[in-house]
Amino acid sequence: MDKSYLELVQVQKKNKIEGLYPTTKLWILLFFVIWIFILSTIKFTSIQLPLLNLVWIPVLLFMFYISGDFVKCIKACRVILTIAAIIFLAQAFIIPGDREVFRLAFLKVSDSGLKKGFELSTMVLSIAGAFVWVFQTTDNKEIGQALEESGVNYTVSYIFVSTLNMINVLSKNSQTIMNAQRARGVETQGNMIVRAKAFVPSFIPLVLSAITGAEERVLTLESRGFAVKCQKTRVLKLQKSGLEKPAMIVCVIITVLLIAGRVVLWM
Amino acid sequence: MAKKYSIKEDFSMMAILMIPVGVAVNVVGGQLASLLHLPMYLDTIGTIFTAIIAGPWVGAVTGMLTNIVTGILNPVNFWFIYVNVIAGLVTGFLARAGWFAVWWKGLIATIIMALVSTVASAPAVVYVFGGVTGSGTSLLTAVLMASGQSIWASVLSVEIIWTTLDRIISWLVSLGVMACIPDRTLVKFSLGELYTKKH
Repeated sequence: MDKSYLELVQVQKKNKIEGLYPTTKLWILLFFVIWIFILSTIKFTSIQLPLLNLVWIPVLLFMFYISGDFVKCIKACRVILTIAAIIFLAQAFIIPGDREVFRLAFLKVSDSGLKKGFELSTMVLSIAGAFVWVFQTTDNKEIGQALEESGVNYTVSYIFVSTLNMINVLSKNSQTIMNAQRARGVETQGNMIVRAKAFVPSFIPLVLSAITGAEERVLTLESRGFAVKCQKTRVLKLQKSGLEKPAMIVCVIITVLLIAGRVVLWM
Repeated sequence: MAKKYSIKEDFSMMAILMIPVGVAVNVVGGQLASLLHLPMYLDTIGTIFTAIIAGPWVGAVTGMLTNIVTGILNPVNFWFIYVNVIAGLVTGFLARAGWFAVWWKGLIATIIMALVSTVASAPAVVYVFGGVTGSGTSLLTAVLMASGQSIWASVLSVEIIWTTLDRIISWLVSLGVMACIPDRTLVKFSLGELYTKKH
């Protein structure tokens, strides 16, 4: 049976975790960040490492897996891994401390450097991982709709969604323009001056075409009554997957347990 | 009588649609710079550009949204949201005062903006990240710190030189873009009239 346009534009998700309501996912994200901060206050070993920060990595992998988006999420995580590694190495080698833990030729790793590096990089890794989970399992248009339903001004939610889309569009366009300029003979490899000179002919057409596009979109939006102050109708209907309530209950229980555990350890 | 500005006027339909473009230009500029292995960030071109043609508030929103969106992949950026907001505001207010209509005033304005954003970002770099944020200049800062300089001296000296250079190049690129935009498009922005070819 042929589907109507209205049915085709709806977001279809079979996986119940992936199909959680966007607002619920954002709540889970918030809880997750709180959990990370609670556990990071528990220190181990003689140099006070917050070793429990590592717990979140298997938890995140599990979340990626049960949402059915494992490969997509892992791909998005590669950037984060690089950033975390740079932060860890730089902090570990640079920050001076009282005690030397490890020595590699002229490079020294002190106790406070190791501690700060470990703390920051694991924190960045787990928080960014949680963001990856939310944004890789949710469509941009779902986020926009959820924002609007939670009372955000429709202009603001339009700007947000349009930004997320625009980044994808422009980075694709920049590849195209760069290839086109290469075909015309613009050098993109060589010494720094050559490469710097390649920046302008790739970049200016990109911005100009984006601005022309924006001009056209103004006409489109205005002809569809975007600026009119009235109740807007929507084509997209967000559906709940049914697991929202249990998910929130689990989150609250985990939070209570973690806080209780932390308080017990304190006393 | 001098023209009175209102925030509402700044956020015309055209300006609203320029915000996503500005953010994407910021992100793609950074990507392109790293693709070409340039030792610069070039990730504020969009903020500078929107602030110059559409005023401080549009620039500030562009700056804020840039760091929110990039923060999704790199939470370090969340700490620097206010820095980009300040950069957008400073550029926008100077642009409103007409500084970017003349090239040498534009250069001075860019340097002022770079200095303000360096000073604004330094406390977060020092206190939250111990001088090392994982960005390109971190290694340079780290080398200075390892050679015995104090953390404030290392962070400020590296960032002032680097940010100023970076912002000047970004401003030059924005100038290039503005020179290519036809007048009929420029006048659709609240500050666009300042940059039309008047003859």
